[in-house]
Amino acid sequence: MRWTLFIGALIGSSICDREKFFGDQVFRINVRNGDEISKLSQLVNSNNLKLDVWKSLSTFNRPVDVLVPSVSLQAVKSFLRSQGLEYAVAIEDLQALLDNEDEEMQQNEGQERRSNNFNYGAYHSLKAIYHEMDNIAADFPDLVRRVKIGHSFENRPMYVLKFSTGEGARRPAIWLNAGIHSREWISQATAIWTARKIVSDYQRDPAITSILEKMDIFLLPVANPDGYVYTQTQNRLWRKTRSLNPGSSCVGADPNRNWNASFAGKGASDNPCSEVYHGPHANSEVEVKSVVDFIQKHGNFKCFIDLHSYSQLLMYPYGYSAKKAPDAKELDKVARRAAKALASVSGTEYQVGPTCTTVYPASGSSIDWAYDNGIKFAFTFELRDTGTYGFLLPANQIIPTAEETWLGLKTIMEHVRDNLY
Amino acid sequence: MQPRRQPPPAPRSGPGNPRPTAPLLALLLLLAPVVAPAGSRSAEDPAQPEDAGVPRRLLQQAARAALHFFNFRAGSPSALRVLAEVQEGRAWINPKEGCKVDVVFSTERYKPESLLQEGEGRLGKCSARVVFKNQKPRPAINVTCTRLIEKKKRQQEDYLLYKQMKQLKNPLEIVSIPDNHGHIDPYLRPIWDLAFLGSSYVMWEMTTQVSHYYLAQLTSVRQWKTNDDTIDFDYTVLLHELSTQEIIPCHIHLVWYPGKPLKVKYHCQELQTPEEASGTEEGSAVPTELSNF
Repeated sequence: MRWTLFIGALIGSSICDREKFFGDQVFRINVRNGDEISKLSQLVNSNNLKLDVWKSLSTFNRPVDVLVPSVSLQAVKSFLRSQGLEYAVAIEDLQALLDNEDEEMQQNEGQERRSNNFNYGAYHSLKAIYHEMDNIAADFPDLVRRVKIGHSFENRPMYVLKFSTGEGARRPAIWLNAGIHSREWISQATAIWTARKIVSDYQRDPAITSILEKMDIFLLPVANPDGYVYTQTQNRLWRKTRSLNPGSSCVGADPNRNWNASFAGKGASDNPCSEVYHGPHANSEVEVKSVVDFIQKHGNFKCFIDLHSYSQLLMYPYGYSAKKAPDAKELDKVARRAAKALASVSGTEYQVGPTCTTVYPASGSSIDWAYDNGIKFAFTFELRDTGTYGFLLPANQIIPTAEETWLGLKTIMEHVRDNLY
Repeated sequence: MQPRRQPPPAPRSGPGNPRPTAPLLALLLLLAPVVAPAGSRSAEDPAQPEDAGVPRRLLQQAARAALHFFNFRAGSPSALRVLAEVQEGRAWINPKEGCKVDVVFSTERYKPESLLQEGEGRLGKCSARVVFKNQKPRPAINVTCTRLIEKKKRQQEDYLLYKQMKQLKNPLEIVSIPDNHGHIDPYLRPIWDLAFLGSSYVMWEMTTQVSHYYLAQLTSVRQWKTNDDTIDFDYTVLLHELSTQEIIPCHIHLVWYPGKPLKVKYHCQELQTPEEASGTEEGSAVPTELSNF
């Protein structure tokens, strides 16, 4: 399952009112004699199976194509087998085929055809994500560039996608951070989906188009590449970086306790074996330092959003203290609007509030650092779910999560666009 | 595969030691009793400061502890419930002893494969009194919930589950449930439900004012014996503790039969606290002594 509903909805009013055909199949049934014709007619005419004949009977030994809705698949197969009717599945998933066609149509519009098998509804290796980032940049060279901002402890590249419609002096910019905690797979998955969404919607959706007209977006889908690889190869629930700690057999520091915002304060640990070990000093983790250096050098970021999971929360500073952020009132309002927009898609409810009291005290966090360094619009999303699957969110929730999160992100970005400072 | 961990040095600051946050909580809650406004969805609220009245967090802690206990006591893998929404509550704090929380909350059926189904929603309502003893395990719980399912139907469903379990081929070749991509094989679902039931006991015992747990994954099955009158299940799970973000392996051994109280023994590896937690329980009214596995 790939690029589903919204592309269909987007690219043509001709398909706006079409039914959806998820899991529906087209059976090609061979009828060899009159007896088989009457058996088939019996099947087709039964009301509750809701079959739709595509290519109908003309002569014997010509196959008949029948559209079978997914709910009727078992019943039809049983019937065909019990009656000895020969058949083959001509189309295994009609909706996928239609989506495929839509996507191909889109790609053909003045673009080079590229063999692209990236399934946005699945979890991918680091290599595959990096490859897809490269594809996106190659597909839209006037809009996107893949930029290396540094490397990880184990020397893996750190890539961001820069979305920009204008050259010249550093335009006000938005930073979208994902995958800093490697086990929160829905974060990286949502990020790469979002990258594809931005390029698909640019010049189609007035909101993202106007956002990009005024600002640049930088997207870092895998802020902790070593950790991510480790979750895929060794330990699915690994959270931290993979840096070595001298004198300890425990590996890694919590990259979201390593920023220079009340570093080593509340809600972090000085024990290398702890999941919230803050590291030997602020920015000790090269993954964190790479982002800090880039943002500081750029100097014109207005918004920093960090994607995590799980708990369904949308939070703003501070985590390191219960003190109220000077802009708390505005941030709270924006966050509530964003949560409402997010909920409008599938009813997913988020709680909103400052980090410290909404989840727990946490010092050295990314958004606290961003906020204290002049980036007013700083938010953390804790994506789905609320504990049923936790970190192990099934792949079939990737796209629904990404779609609803997108509305939340857009709400925030639109507010930034309209309130540049 | 968990990396080998060194025994921790004496914890100082940080969430590993829950102590630093307790004074903060106590400070916030010195006014007692404090009644919280009826819970409403945050998205529609006008901007209320998060810590007006009783911190939502404490009420949620209490509700979760109560639910774990409720699930354990019900002993019914087909009728597990999860927290939907905290509706109201009040708390009394005694900084020396602990805190007492009265809380009313709604629940949903625990059904991983059909999360967002409409109508299967907030059917259950519970009210509970939870007493947390300062950082000590086993919060005392008194909880009643409205009935979601007819008792007879629940017993039937439990018995169905039992029959499904008896049909599972032994030895069970389990890598993990859910798998790393979050998938649970429908054929193995009964095992997961039973594992969750046993874990409820563990999570009840271990929940405090500040620590709360989720069941992350079933990672191994040591023994699965289905007899005519019991299921004997010996397994390891990973619990996720939210305030410290730690992953805690727990070895659990339970004995279950539809309609009979659940018997559980367990042993968890705790990284941050000096002692390791373990316990044993028969589903009777009077808790037995804690003992090592």
